[in-house]
Formats: sequence, C-alpha cells, structure tokens
Amino acid sequence: MNYKVKKALFYIFIFGVGFMFIIPLMYLTTTSLTSRVEINDFPRPMFPSLSHETQWEWDEANNRYTFYWENNSEEYIPLNYGDPEYLSEYLDAYLNVSITPDELEDKIESARLDGEIVDVRLSKSLFRNYGKFFDVFSGAEDAFVNSVKAAVYTIILSLSIGGSLGFAIARTNIKGKDAIGIGALIVRMFPTIAISVSAAVLLINFGLFDSMFGLAIVYSIPNIGLTAWITRGIFMGVNKELEEASLVFGASKLQTFYKITLPLVLPAFAASSMYAFITAWNDTGVALLLTNKNETLSLLLYSSIGGAGSVQYAAAGSLLLIIPALVFTFFLRKYINQLWG
Amino acid sequence: MSYIKLENLRKVYNKTIEAVKRFDLEIDKGEFIVFLGPSGCGKSTTMRMIAGLETVTGGDIFIDGESIINLEPRDRGISMIFQSYAVWPHMTVFDNVAYALKLRKLPKEQIKKIVDEVAVICDIKEHLERYPSQLSGGQRQRVAVARAIAVKPKLFLMDEPLSNLDAKLRVSMRTDLKRIHQDLGSTSIFVTHDQSEALSLADRIVVMNQGVIEQIGTPNEIYHTPESMFVAQFIGSPPANFFDVTVLVKGDKVMLSAKSFEFSVKKELEKKLKEYDGKQIVLAARPENFTVDKTGLIETEIIIVEPQGSHIVINVEVDGKEIKVVTDKLDLQVGQKIKLGLTDKYIVFDKDTTNRIY
Amino acid sequence: MDKIKTRKPFWKSPYMLVLPALIFYLIFWAGPVFSAVKEVFTSVDGGFSFETIFFLFEDDKFLPALGNTLLFAIVSIVLQFLLALALALFINRNFKGSSFFLFLMMIPMAIPIAAVGIIWDTGLTESGWFNSILSVTGIQWFLDTIGITDGAILWKGATGFKAIMLLVLIDTWTVLPSVMIIILAGLQNLNKEYSEAALVFGATRFQTVKHIIVPIIKPTIITALLLRIISGVQVWLIAVMVFDFDTVPFLVERIVYYNKFFYTDEYFKLSVAYSIFVMMLVMTIATIFLSANKKAERGRT
Ligand SMILES: Nc1ncnc2c1ncn2[C@@H]1O[C@H](COP(=O)(O)OP(=O)(O)OP(=O)(O)O)[C@@H](O)[C@H]1O
Ligand SMILES: [Mg+2]
Repeated sequence: MNYKVKKALFYIFIFGVGFMFIIPLMYLTTTSLTSRVEINDFPRPMFPSLSHETQWEWDEANNRYTFYWENNSEEYIPLNYGDPEYLSEYLDAYLNVSITPDELEDKIESARLDGEIVDVRLSKSLFRNYGKFFDVFSGAEDAFVNSVKAAVYTIILSLSIGGSLGFAIARTNIKGKDAIGIGALIVRMFPTIAISVSAAVLLINFGLFDSMFGLAIVYSIPNIGLTAWITRGIFMGVNKELEEASLVFGASKLQTFYKITLPLVLPAFAASSMYAFITAWNDTGVALLLTNKNETLSLLLYSSIGGAGSVQYAAAGSLLLIIPALVFTFFLRKYINQLWG
Repeated sequence: MSYIKLENLRKVYNKTIEAVKRFDLEIDKGEFIVFLGPSGCGKSTTMRMIAGLETVTGGDIFIDGESIINLEPRDRGISMIFQSYAVWPHMTVFDNVAYALKLRKLPKEQIKKIVDEVAVICDIKEHLERYPSQLSGGQRQRVAVARAIAVKPKLFLMDEPLSNLDAKLRVSMRTDLKRIHQDLGSTSIFVTHDQSEALSLADRIVVMNQGVIEQIGTPNEIYHTPESMFVAQFIGSPPANFFDVTVLVKGDKVMLSAKSFEFSVKKELEKKLKEYDGKQIVLAARPENFTVDKTGLIETEIIIVEPQGSHIVINVEVDGKEIKVVTDKLDLQVGQKIKLGLTDKYIVFDKDTTNRIY
Repeated sequence: MDKIKTRKPFWKSPYMLVLPALIFYLIFWAGPVFSAVKEVFTSVDGGFSFETIFFLFEDDKFLPALGNTLLFAIVSIVLQFLLALALALFINRNFKGSSFFLFLMMIPMAIPIAAVGIIWDTGLTESGWFNSILSVTGIQWFLDTIGITDGAILWKGATGFKAIMLLVLIDTWTVLPSVMIIILAGLQNLNKEYSEAALVFGATRFQTVKHIIVPIIKPTIITALLLRIISGVQVWLIAVMVFDFDTVPFLVERIVYYNKFFYTDEYFKLSVAYSIFVMMLVMTIATIFLSANKKAERGRT
C-alpha cells in the first residue's frame, strides 16, 4: 500500500515536471495553429481549435450575408458581411478557413432562400499559418535558405579543419599536443558574439560581410576546436590493430581507411556536424552583427517581435526554426554533455 | 537469548522476484557467520536487509532483542565492508576512517586516537595521508576494514569483501580478517560464494540456495554431514560423487547395489535402510572417501591424472560416468587398471526428498 | 635505423594536418582579437589613447550592465544547480518511461533562443498564455485573494531586480533539464556503494549528498557549471526580446546596442571595448573554474 502510494506520487511528480517544461512549447504550437480572430482569446486555449462555429443570415436590405462567429465565451458575435466572394477571402485571412466562394454559397444559401439563420461549422485548414508565414514575412524563404547555407558551410569548415586536427593529435607524433588541447578548450568557450564586432571589419576586407560564408567562419571558431576534440577521442579509440589486421589481410592503405577506419569514426563526424549545425542554426547575435540584408531565419524571427497581429505567424516561423534543431539534438543525445552550454 | 535474530525474513523485488523466501537465524555474540551459496541465491539481499539498505518485505530482525527494521541504516549500530570497498575517493585514508566518528561528534583527539589504533591493527599506519587512488587494491581493502572496525559496531557485515583481490592476497587477507575478529570478538556476517573462504573463516556457515536456507552448521558439520544433496554437492572441491543405488535387504544384511558394484552397509545404517528395501537411494562419496588398493570392490581404469603436489586427483569411470578420486598414491598412471574401495564415510540421501538418510 | 630514414616531402609531414587550423585561428580568431585591442587603444583620429577606456568606464550603463550580468549569471547558476541536483537525485532510478521523460526534458534546450524569445515574449503579455495558466488554475484568484496581486500581472513591466529574476526563470526553463541530465549522468556513473557506505556509517541522506555524492562528482559538476556560467555571462537576446533594448542592460546587450544603433566611430570603439571586457570576463571565469577543477581532481584518478 505504502509502496503503491509512493510510486503514484513519484509518477505524479515526474509527470508534473515534464509537463511544466513542455507547456510553453505546447502554447507556442497552439498559437501557431490559431487563426487571427482567436488570437486575443483569454484565457488562451492549451489546444488548438479545429473548426469554427458560425451563423449566417441574409441581410435583405443590403443584399448581402452577415455572419456571426462563436467566440470562446460561447457568444455569437457579428464579424463581417458581404458577398461569398469577399467572405471567402475574409474567412481565409481571419479564420484560416479555406473555402471557395461557390462552396460557401452552397452552405449558406438557405439563409437567403428561406430567410433563416443557418448554422455552419467551418473546419480550419490547420497549418494555414505556416504558409502565411512566408507571405507575411517577405524574405522568409530566403532566410530559411540562408540558415541552411550557413549551417552547411559551418559543417564543412569545422569537419575538414577540425577533423584533420583531431586526427593529427590522435595518430601522429606532432609536438605541442597539450598546447593544442588547451587552445581547443579556450576557443570552445570563447564568446563568438564578442569577437564578431571586430571580425566585421576583417570580413568587410575579405568581402565576406553580409554573407553566409562569413557567418560560417565565425560559427566555426568554437566548432573547429570542438570537432578536433571529439574526433581525437574517436581516432584514439579506434583500435589500431583493426587497421593493421586489414593491412595484413591484403587491403591497401586507402581501402583500409575507407573500409575500416571511416565507418568506425563516422559517428564522431556525425555528432560534430550536428553541433556545427546547431551552432549556426540557433544563433542570432552573430548574424545580427555580421549581416545587413541577408537575414537568417533566426534573425528574421528575432526582428519579427513587436509586429502587432502577427504573433501566430511568428509562432509558426518559430516552429519551423525549432523542428530542425530538435531533430538534430535528438540524434545528439549520446553526446549531450558537450553540446550543452 | 540470542544476540541477533532474523525471523522469517522475506524479500520480494518488484512484486515478482522472490529473492529471499524464508530466512530464520539466531546469532550469538562474537560469532562469525558466513552466508554461502551460489550466485543469485539471496545472500546480498539478506545482508542488505540487515544493513537497512533494502526494505524488508516480511519478517523481522532483532539486535539485542530490539527490532531494527524500521531504523535508518545509521541507527542500527552496524558497519559494513563492501565488495568494491567503497572507500571514498575524495577523502584521505584518515578522513575515510574518521568520517563516521566525526558524524558522531567525537572530540578531535579521541578520533585521532581511534584512527591510529585501527590503522595499526589494519597495517595502514603509513598511508593515512594518502588518497585511495594512491593505494593498491589490498591496501584499499584494509582501509575499508579499518573504517568498519573504527566505529565498534554491534554487528559487522561483509559482502564478498575479498572477491576483488588476487588469489594470493585473498588468502592472506582472510587470515588477517580472522585474526582481527578473534582479537576484537566482534559479531560478524560474511557473504561469499567461495567455499574455502567459508570453511576457513566461519564459526557457523549458512548455506543458501534459491532464497532459502539449506543448512546451518559448523564447517565440519557442513562438510561431513551435509543435510541435503545440494549441500553435499556445493561444498567440497572436487565435489562429491553421486551414485544411484538400490537397497537390498538380505536377511540380516543390507546391501547397496549399483550397476557395477555391491556392498553391505555399515552397521549404523542397517536399521534406517530396512524400510527402503527394494527402493532406489542416492549414495554420495567424496573423492577422498575412496581407497585405491587390491582389495577394492570396483574395478576400473584411470582416464585422467591431475597431480596436486601432496596428492593426486584421478578420473575413473564407474557406473557409466566419470568420477573423481583423491589419493596419495602419486605413481598412478593413465590407463592403469585399479581397484577402488569405499571407506565408511559415505552418506546416503533419500532420492525423493534429497535429504540425508544418514 | 633512424639516421638513414629518408626525408619525407614537407606536404606529407603530420604538421600539414595542423596547418589549416593554425591559419584559420590566426586569421579569424587572433586577428580580430588583436585588432579589437588595437581599436580600443587608438583614438578616433588614429593616435594611441585611453579615450575609449574612459568612455567605457564613464558609460552610465556600464556598471548596471556588469551588475546585471553577474547577478543573472550567479543567481541562475546557483538556482539551476540546486534544482537540477535535487531533481537528478530524485529521479536517479530506473522507472518505466524514464527515457521518454529524459527526451521530453531535452526539448527546451534544443530550442533556438530566438524562438525561446518568441515563446516568452508572447507568453508574458497581459493576456498571454502565462497569465492564462494562472487564471485557469486559480492561482491568479488565490494571489488576488491573499492580496499579492491585483488583477493580471504585467510581467513585461518588470524592472530592475524583478526583471532579472524573470529572465533567470526563463533561462532556467531553457537549461535546467540539460543541467539535470548531466548531473544524472554523473550520478549513474557513481558507484552506489559510496553512498550506501555513508548511510551505514552514520550519515543522513542529506549528509550523504553533501559529503559524498557532490564531492565525488565534482569534476562533472564543475565542467557543467563552467559552460553554464559562460553562457550566462553572454545573456542578451532573451532580455532584448522580452524587455527590448536599453531597458535591462547586459554586457553583451551593450555590444549589440552600441554597434547597431549608433553610427559614430566612438560608439563603435565603445562596442569593441565592451566586447574585450566580455572576452576577459569569460576567460577569467574559465581560469578560476578550471583551477578549481584541478584542485578537485588532485590526489584522485
Ligand atoms: N534491486 C533488485 N531488483 C530486482 N531484483 C534484484 C535486485 N537485487 C537483487 N535482485 C535479484 O534477487 C536475487 C538475489 O540477489 P542477491 O544479490 O541477493 O544474490 P547473491 O546471493 O548476493 O548473488 P551474488 O553471489 O552473485 O552476489 C537475484 O535473482 C537478483 O537478480
Ligand atoms: Mg551478492
């Protein structure tokens, strides 16, 4: 009995903690699925609505439809009037309902023909805000592409430079390994945003200011060190005897590298590239200082705040930003200790 | 009244794994008890229940007549030596030994005096300022012992404390532990699955199997009069040999008949075996219960010879299976034909209950 | 043998593997650091001068920014460490669904700060989701009743200490799970017998944590806290997204602010001076922590 109670309390606690950390994200998701008319509801719903309840009336005098919308206090309030053509557009813009004028007419014409009030449930096209995000924020598409570009360049720079450094520390008898180790630690912790201010001048001289490659260079500062550190560990961990065995059994050095070494060290490179991706993808500050016209997605979202009436689109954009980061973090679980900071 | 009493102790993990089914034991003050049994039989679980590191599912534990099962480990007046020693790596040897004393708020000088005392007993006097990482396995083991005896416990628990040491050190630590026990007279429970450790250390051995006690007895009792086939087979190295035999009552005499040999039993056994007339029982004979001479009753051929210095172990085939025999006739050769005899020290078991008949 | 070794061509030397990294860091790391120092010590018209340094120390917002930054970093690290330790100790056991729970806990830390900013920027408005929760759960009513609040709380109106504490809470939401995961990993690598020994030898559970568990996993904790405090010192984006520029000054916020909103050379130099200050602060903290770590590891391993 006592045991059962304890166990129940434990699970309630765990559930509560988990919930507490997930709630903000749930609200963000819900906001991203919310239409414009619902955006000011209070209290905010935790789950998104899937449809709207509406009532339609034919306004004989003005020769137009009037429609009422049920708000979250279950009152019907008049929203707009007009012909199906206009109302269809309005529904799309304000209620996230995609319906052609003809379809709408079909549904509500009995109001006109019979002179009654017609109840209509209109289902929302749930992900409409994600499309609208790209319309409302001009340049969002470019920003998305830019973010991907910056991330990919960062991965290439970090892996090539950091990987060979890691290999050199692990497998060759170069001098100064300790110094390199300390250096890698220092650059890993170095505040990139602080270095960006003076790096700007340098990048202008190289013609790399306001370019994704320029950003990637700054993002690579911590990541080359980190990659070197991770790959060093793996190259040391890959048993040399495995390679030697392969050589003994008649493989060439190149074959040995491709068939034996590479598959073994691949996870380390995968992990390093995810870090590189996340550094680039999640950054805002460096991009703010080192770009001018070429925004990244994160920068675009940062500048979107304060824009009245666009909360739901910003939320949709945020999720577009969050999802790749989340996916990559998920793959990184094993290496989470180093990611964190 | 006994000093420590374990009454009907039971432990079930996660409602399904019955680690200890029933455990009853009384321990006198100053006794050295060894729990012996195969891996997973519930030795550690029982010990951890005594220590308070594991909750008790059923039954009770008394020390000095008081139930302790609702006390925290620190209030039970016990100390423990762990399998991994659990010598804290961030404290010097001195601090390790002194930790429990500091928690008891003893004055500084007294702590120092006690630590010095036990350091001498355990031979770690020179290492007091070192960190555990600077010690060898055997020295760490000694620190663990010193830490455990410093608190002058009512009861001393040791869970396979020697299993991480190499063979030689294990034997010498064993002697040291016995000496310390004799000097301090502390009541101790020692867990092991090494029978030679058990036989050499214990006042009494508790043989466990699958969560129950098979037998409680002195080392001699356990070895010479095992109560069950399990104990006979578990204790002794090489293990005892078992034969299926049929009891035949022929007039006054009682004969045991196997496929390849037959003999009349010792006098003391006759009465007990009469009721088994015509039935099968199990005959157990330890390797050293055989004789090798011309008058022996079993004819066989030597298959393997393993010299052990003072004696040799030979494998021979009897009744269609290989058995081991210990003899001091060092010149026996593979392939040699010999005759085996049986001394009176054999034991017989009831085949159904597996309990000893005599 | 060694003497008759043929000389390898220089491009086959192992140092060639180090060269790209060396060149990269010389140009893109040492270069900017050096030019930043140079920038700060030259006056607008080119000569050597301490102008910018004076400008930095005379800046009204310098001390508040420094104070806020340190306050934020210290309070958040202490809070997060204690909470994470408690949580990790509590859930340090195998329970059904533990891996799913840990996965859930990892989500906040993966979220880009710009998105974190949006979550809380929209959440902390008067009719945002945060007040919605307070209202729906009755907490708002409770607070109103006992007189702590009077109607919906205007979070974004917070200033000074309160504003910083609010930012600490947001930061805690973002990173607490990850701190916990690291401590948990440390606990799971810890031999259980260490703490059991302490319990047997007379320690209470609290003493066991304090005397045994924390000191033994100290190296893990220190590394974790180091990374944490370094990112704590660099806080700015959240503050700006929730409270806007120039309301709750932080050191890095100053860098961005003077860089983005002022177009004169003096202010550019001021921003560089701030960035040098931040670099020095970070390196100082790192040095302190690493030497503490060395101490913690001394005598072990
Ligand atoms: N925490 C636990 N949860 C579930 N089952 C457990 C737990 N601890 C032990 N058991 C089970 O209880 C049984 C007895 O375990 P115990 O550790 O007491 O064995 P033991 O006799 O000490 O063995 P060994 O000689 O290998 O140490 C085993 O089957 C084991 O799997
Ligand atoms: Mg055990």
